[in-house]
Amino acid sequence: MQEVDFYRANTLDDLHRLLVETGGRVIAGGTDALVQMQRGAFPAAVVVDASRIADLRFIREDGDRIEIGALTTYADLLASPLVRRVAPALIAAAETVGAPQTRARGTLGGNIANASPAGDMLPPLLALDASVTLSSARGIRTLPLSEVLRGPRQTCLEPGEIIASIAFSRPPEPCGAAFIKLSNRRGMSIAVVSVAAVLALDSAWRIAEGRIALGAVAPTAVRSPAAEDALAGQVSGADTFRRAARAALDDIAPISDVRATAAYRRQAAERLVIRALNAAWERAGGRGGA
Amino acid sequence: MKPITVTLLVNGEPHTITTEPNKTLLYALRDDLGLYGAKDACGGEGECGACTVLLDGEPVNSCLVLVGQADGCRVETIEGLAANGRLHPLQRAFVETGAVQCGFCTPGAILAAKALLDRVPGPTDDQIREALSGNLCRCTGYTRMIAAVRRAAEEMSHVR
Repeated sequence: MQEVDFYRANTLDDLHRLLVETGGRVIAGGTDALVQMQRGAFPAAVVVDASRIADLRFIREDGDRIEIGALTTYADLLASPLVRRVAPALIAAAETVGAPQTRARGTLGGNIANASPAGDMLPPLLALDASVTLSSARGIRTLPLSEVLRGPRQTCLEPGEIIASIAFSRPPEPCGAAFIKLSNRRGMSIAVVSVAAVLALDSAWRIAEGRIALGAVAPTAVRSPAAEDALAGQVSGADTFRRAARAALDDIAPISDVRATAAYRRQAAERLVIRALNAAWERAGGRGGA
Repeated sequence: MKPITVTLLVNGEPHTITTEPNKTLLYALRDDLGLYGAKDACGGEGECGACTVLLDGEPVNSCLVLVGQADGCRVETIEGLAANGRLHPLQRAFVETGAVQCGFCTPGAILAAKALLDRVPGPTDDQIREALSGNLCRCTGYTRMIAAVRRAAEEMSHVR
């Protein structure tokens, strides 16, 4: 195990101060950070534990706005009737994370900070157009999640800065969302490709807005503007969904790795976008989906 | 590294230890407290579940918790399950159902199952499978384990 010193922060102010004083790096649930330490790859000599800061563990609804504290665990999300009601794609994604042991400790903020291209919560959060509030001793700033994710395991966080919360607006009804993860097995698996879709329909059941995000097919989880353009204003159905899925391929750049080849990922991504759109359409109450 | 002092409430007993700050809860249990039930089978990467313990009632991989993170918390290990010389219904069911082969994954699997039964007294087979999905058994004894959890759940419902 890598040699590190350990400090525990009990409040957000504590955390800011300790990060400045020690030059350490924050950990939360530790489900990724301890694996890094085990491999000698943790990027600091000091660990500042945030996992006990109660103020960063909450799920709040304010009108159409949902805000989730960064220390909310996957198990917390799964146990929340509110999240189940307003963000079923987030629930579907949380269900696929690791195993109960991982879900009891791992946090939503940690999934973002870890910035894995295959991070399970990232496509549904991107498809919800989520924003992230960052906090440091200097103050707070709020950015779209897409701007926080900079590359594989890279975020825009500055030294001493932490993720405080994640927020998104509930899309207006009628609306449906879906998340599909393709992996080599069901439990304890990393995505080969994942897709999240959100479809908001207008009163004539046309697509008012469609949002598509994909995981494990680019240096970060990404939205697909090309697919979204192909959906906007269109009548839902097989042709529209096929065109959107084809368009999504313009926005991804998969690589070959131990889990799958790039060519396989492209084929799978196209099919999964269609499946996710069909599922979102059905959940929006649409009929005659492709 | 600066040593840290933490207090763990292990199986109902408070233990205060001073130890290395990069130590995991797993190795604090094994090396500092002499509790060898939780196992290290995957090299501390949270892949196998053999180190599963209950931390404040939640099933966790103790290899992925720094001991400092568990300061002041309740920890349940396999050593704490038997009461007054009687095995816990899950332990008895694992023995009687033949769910133990090499035994290396057994403590972790039983604690993962206990976390389920503490919350869901009458689980479906799918819920049992899900609860054990983070516990690798390389003897591939899952069928018997699922039967054992079902049996323990039935027995515990009679007691209630």
